[in-house]
Amino acid sequence: MYVLGVETSCDETSVSVTKDGKEVLSNVVLSQIDIHKEYGGVVPEIASREHIKGITYVFDQAMKDAKIEYKDLDLIAVTQGPGLIGSLLIGVNAAKVISLNYHIPIIGVHHITGHIYASNIEHDFEFPLIALVVSGGHTELILMKEHFSFEKLGETQDDAVGEAYDKVARVLGLPYPGGPVVDRLAKQGVEEYQFPRPMIDSDDFNFSFSGLKSHVINLNHNMQQRNEEVHVENFCRSFQEAVTDVLVAKTIKAKDHYQVKQIVVAGGVAANSGLRQKMKERITDIPVYFPSMKYCTDNAAMISVAGYYKYQKEQKYDDFMLNGSGRLDINEGE
Amino acid sequence: MSKQLIIDTATKYIYLSLVVDNKEVESVYQQGDNNHSVTIIPLLDELLQKANLSLQELDEVIVGIGPGSYTGVRIGVTVAKMIGYLNQIRVRTISSLALIASASDQRYVIPYVDARRGNAFVTCLKQENNMLSFVTEESLENLEQYLKQFDFEYELIEEGKPNVKKILASNLLEDVGDIHELKPNYLRITEAERNKNGN
Repeated sequence: MYVLGVETSCDETSVSVTKDGKEVLSNVVLSQIDIHKEYGGVVPEIASREHIKGITYVFDQAMKDAKIEYKDLDLIAVTQGPGLIGSLLIGVNAAKVISLNYHIPIIGVHHITGHIYASNIEHDFEFPLIALVVSGGHTELILMKEHFSFEKLGETQDDAVGEAYDKVARVLGLPYPGGPVVDRLAKQGVEEYQFPRPMIDSDDFNFSFSGLKSHVINLNHNMQQRNEEVHVENFCRSFQEAVTDVLVAKTIKAKDHYQVKQIVVAGGVAANSGLRQKMKERITDIPVYFPSMKYCTDNAAMISVAGYYKYQKEQKYDDFMLNGSGRLDINEGE
Repeated sequence: MSKQLIIDTATKYIYLSLVVDNKEVESVYQQGDNNHSVTIIPLLDELLQKANLSLQELDEVIVGIGPGSYTGVRIGVTVAKMIGYLNQIRVRTISSLALIASASDQRYVIPYVDARRGNAFVTCLKQENNMLSFVTEESLENLEQYLKQFDFEYELIEEGKPNVKKILASNLLEDVGDIHELKPNYLRITEAERNKNGN
């Protein structure tokens, strides 16, 4: 089964063709990151304008790379949300045109299910499993008992972890996007400052990062007021240790509680080297899988693969009323 | 037999028209509710079925490229761009304001699309012997101030089903050379870019 994947939920225009939910025949990603960098974050209207500029080019390249023709596709999977609404609508409408033009069925996919299924490209899922979803917009622990079944165990009560990274980076005067920069500098520092580990012992699977973020920002501010030198590398290291301690501790708690066979880490922050290392060090009884870097950030291969499994589970398609949705619960995407 | 599809989604109204040998055989012009994204493909599907045509049989797409609602115009342009790309057919663009103006029979027409806070995307067109042409360039203006410059009679018009004959006969249609280059005419850079440039 050949599945065309389309992803335009944020600042990457991406199209991919996968076969049988496993083999990635193409995965073209047109990133706008250099454009948004100048604004210190993604500007929604600029993102939409860039998507429409690049959309046909990305489709064309993905089909050429996959060496396949549109008429030979079996299914179109498109991100319907959550994300930037103006951006989502371009992918959704482009996908619907292909569906109408070639009479190929279409299915809407929840962006986060895509991130989770990115892991299944390189490793087969074994159920039950826990997915830790960490990105600029999400921090969630999800239990999967079978394919395309998602039970949210807990989530952040305020900032997403990637958001906290970006804000801390901004305060330290580091460029956008902050996550990779903080991660890189953290490797050169030591844990000099003792930062709080919010909710690490709480009785649930929820997270909170705004208190930690404020603590870090206030300390930086106070030190500058006192003319004390802020050691940026140590600051990054201390922040990263605090964040990853919480993420790993909660994941272990969920693992033990639900007796799972596998952990998968999904989303942009899955690229964080500190998180990767700590997870592998502290969880040794069952496999912990991280997608390779190219499948961590937004890409259409993961949407294509998630669409394949969604169809296998539900055996039904969407109709042409399918629309983008800025906010979307993961269970609506089931 | 030439088969053309005309699309415009830059205003509150969605306009789709199928033209066979210069005659509009099926069309829809209806007010939306910020939902052109939901309705455009179902409406297009219905239109094609009524006319017993498929997208692959089309020879040309004509698309309104704004100015107008940014999100709205992108929907029609995305659809036109994809149809043109998939079927390798000619795509021509037209001003969404000119499409509105074509609904009028007055010599001077001022079509506009509301842009909130008293502002509008607006221009003035003239028609002689059914030939439409621009009198002023399209711009984003305070509508009340803008209208003060005209000392002749005109019709101010915000909506109206486009007149296909007039549109096709006009010289306002512009060929899109490379389909990958097709994009809306926003008339303005984004607020973020303006702020960055310090204007």
